[in-house]
Amino acid sequence: MLWIKNGIVVDPKNKIKAEKMDLFVKDGKIVDETKVKKQDCTVIDASGKLVVAGGVDMHAHIAGSKINTGRTMRPEEMRVVRNIAGKFRATVGRVLLTAPAIGYEYAKMGYTTSFEAAQPPIGALHTHEELDAIPMIDKGALPVFGNWHLVFKCIEEKNMEKLKALVAWAIERSKGFGVKVVNPGGVEAWMYGGNVKSLDDQVPGFNVTPREIITWLIKANEELGLPHSVHLHCNNLGVPGNYQTTIESIKLANGFSNAKRQVLHVTHVQFNAYAGSSWRDAGSGAAEIAKVVNSMDNVTIDMGQPIFGHATAMTGDAPFQFSLHKLIGARWSNKDTEVETGAGIVPIGYLPNNPVHALQWAIGLELGLLVDSNKVALTTDYPNGGPFTEYPYVMAMLMSKKMREGELSKVNAYVQKATGLTSIDVEKTLYEVIHMTRSLPAKILGLENKGHLGIGADADIAIYNLNPLETDTSKEFEKVYKMFKSAEYTIKGGEIIVKGGELVKEVYGRTFWVDATKKADIQAVMPDIREYFNYYSVQLGNYGVEERWIKKPARIEVV
Amino acid sequence: MAVVIKPKKFFEVCVEAELTPELALRSVDEVKKFKVYYGNKVVELGELFEVAKQGDEKKLILDGDFSRVKWIGARMVDGEIVVKGSVGANCGAFMRGGKITIEGNADDWLGIEMAGGEIIVKGNAGNLVGCAYYGDAVGMTAGKIIIEGNAGNYVGEKMNGGEIVIKGNAGDFIGTEMRAGVIEIHGSCGFVGGDMRGGEIRIKGSFELLPTFKKTEKGWVGDVNVKGEGVIKTF
Ligand SMILES: [Zn+2]
Repeated sequence: MLWIKNGIVVDPKNKIKAEKMDLFVKDGKIVDETKVKKQDCTVIDASGKLVVAGGVDMHAHIAGSKINTGRTMRPEEMRVVRNIAGKFRATVGRVLLTAPAIGYEYAKMGYTTSFEAAQPPIGALHTHEELDAIPMIDKGALPVFGNWHLVFKCIEEKNMEKLKALVAWAIERSKGFGVKVVNPGGVEAWMYGGNVKSLDDQVPGFNVTPREIITWLIKANEELGLPHSVHLHCNNLGVPGNYQTTIESIKLANGFSNAKRQVLHVTHVQFNAYAGSSWRDAGSGAAEIAKVVNSMDNVTIDMGQPIFGHATAMTGDAPFQFSLHKLIGARWSNKDTEVETGAGIVPIGYLPNNPVHALQWAIGLELGLLVDSNKVALTTDYPNGGPFTEYPYVMAMLMSKKMREGELSKVNAYVQKATGLTSIDVEKTLYEVIHMTRSLPAKILGLENKGHLGIGADADIAIYNLNPLETDTSKEFEKVYKMFKSAEYTIKGGEIIVKGGELVKEVYGRTFWVDATKKADIQAVMPDIREYFNYYSVQLGNYGVEERWIKKPARIEVV
Repeated sequence: MAVVIKPKKFFEVCVEAELTPELALRSVDEVKKFKVYYGNKVVELGELFEVAKQGDEKKLILDGDFSRVKWIGARMVDGEIVVKGSVGANCGAFMRGGKITIEGNADDWLGIEMAGGEIIVKGNAGNLVGCAYYGDAVGMTAGKIIIEGNAGNYVGEKMNGGEIVIKGNAGDFIGTEMRAGVIEIHGSCGFVGGDMRGGEIRIKGSFELLPTFKKTEKGWVGDVNVKGEGVIKTF
């Protein structure tokens, strides 16, 4: 039992704006004062300190074949030693971290949940083995659906019952959490060396279009009533002029609604917010996208903010990865994942004096500033935009125009004419930024007990040495950055895992997965699945992940 | 004053010790306290080695078998190291100046990414002399490595300056992805110059030429696969 005394609590989900109060923890949950015996509590004196829910990263690439291939092809990333074996495990990695390093670095920063944003269903076992190797945090993974032959077939046949059955079956088999869609149709076109260029291009070999793939999957997702919405990586990612495709894709959410959450989450929008016709005249489409997102109440986005320095581009968007390799000449690895999907990996670095990189950096910030704080979550699309360990930099930048002015003076002047960043006066409040990193991502994912400090919430808590009542986040950005980098305390499931910025205890979190098999007639799709297994490298009986193989599974049943 | 360092025993596991001539500026007691890795344990140099002073130059004399001691002379900028035996891997890595003389053999990764200074090996050297660490873009950029005996594979991979002279034979993949600098082999070697963009490789004995080099007055020029202008010639 814990008694967190006299902290200044910011808890946007429960509308608490910097209030001095006590919190009580029992059996891994936040409980009412009357439920604990105070004399038995470990007391944490949080006087003058900020107390918030543990951070929730709703989109990062932390486990599975992509990050592992990245590690293999980037030995130079593995030469940064972070921790020597002792009480805690040995960890290495500059931006591409080893599995234990991922858990440790999130924990040190006060983050307690992170979701792997793209797992090929057939690679689920590898993904879960790696998730199991990440200590400290709660986890989950989103299987990908946007280029799966059988998904195309269900849509071609206009058979919604079959599509729902396939989605529910695949999420159960992969112990996944929701429906991820990456460049719908485009990765299939890549199997023939091409890509799709608009929502209405026909996918080679199938009578379907990206528009149909997205809308049919939204409909299936909503009819199944999954906790999370469709999670979309748009077509034309990384192509100047793509902001229009993004807006068209966002508008596909029209006509759908859900009382609890968005019906479409569009991810790492920075990579999909470019105006212009080539990299020579590229500009920002962030303001236009923000206008559309702000006008709709059923769509959310995340930033995909680039951080200057090293990064590794790794997405299921195989054709994009090839174009990136051609553009910058860096190493490239391609993955063709049987009949389900593909992927690619390319090392990249973001340089402040490179006009394109500076443009990307500015667009990410524009999105974070111009979109309603209730609709944009903070991400770097780790490791695509850079390390998640720099989230505090993004938080501080959103809260301080002065900090942005300082940073703007160091980047290529191209951003001044190509984006609107210099003229944005918005300074998000601490309350908003806490929302964007805790309660909002938890709400987007549909995790009711995460991202807040109300009674019954998971006791995932971060305490920072920052008094919100006495800190001017606009002026004291250096302090804000420093304090969010390193938590005074991180509490995971009621246990103190970080103290004074240092790890004190290793714990293993849960892996959330969604079981919606009761919401669909799985038998409706089984004959097709059996037929498709003629083309798989494994037999149906060997496909998927059993719950007992996972270290700490947490099943969420949809009824 | 020169410092003489002598192993006290046979090392069960490798020692990692960035021994540089800077140590000669310290007292014997300070040198004995210098931290090195013995396997995965951090220990004081004095636990594994005897230390004595001799003469008054900025010089390190490594007296004995150092073939299980890695990183000797790594990052050194000046002064001199004389090894009376053989050295372990990564000797002279990232070195910027000064001189290392090895009377025995050198293990792999000799003079990796070196940017100045001189290394002389009286015996043989292993693989990956003067090249880039895996994943890094550029190998040796300046300085000179002389090997009196033979060398292994991947000599001068991604080399971008400086000179490597091998008096004996060398293995395969000499000057792969080389951009600038000179490799001179007095004996014979295997495949040479794959993806070479620039620089010069001179060979006295026999070698295997890739079909992607064009015969010109200067020698064989290539690798044409990467529009390279490297030169391979005999002497
Ligand atoms: Zn991503």
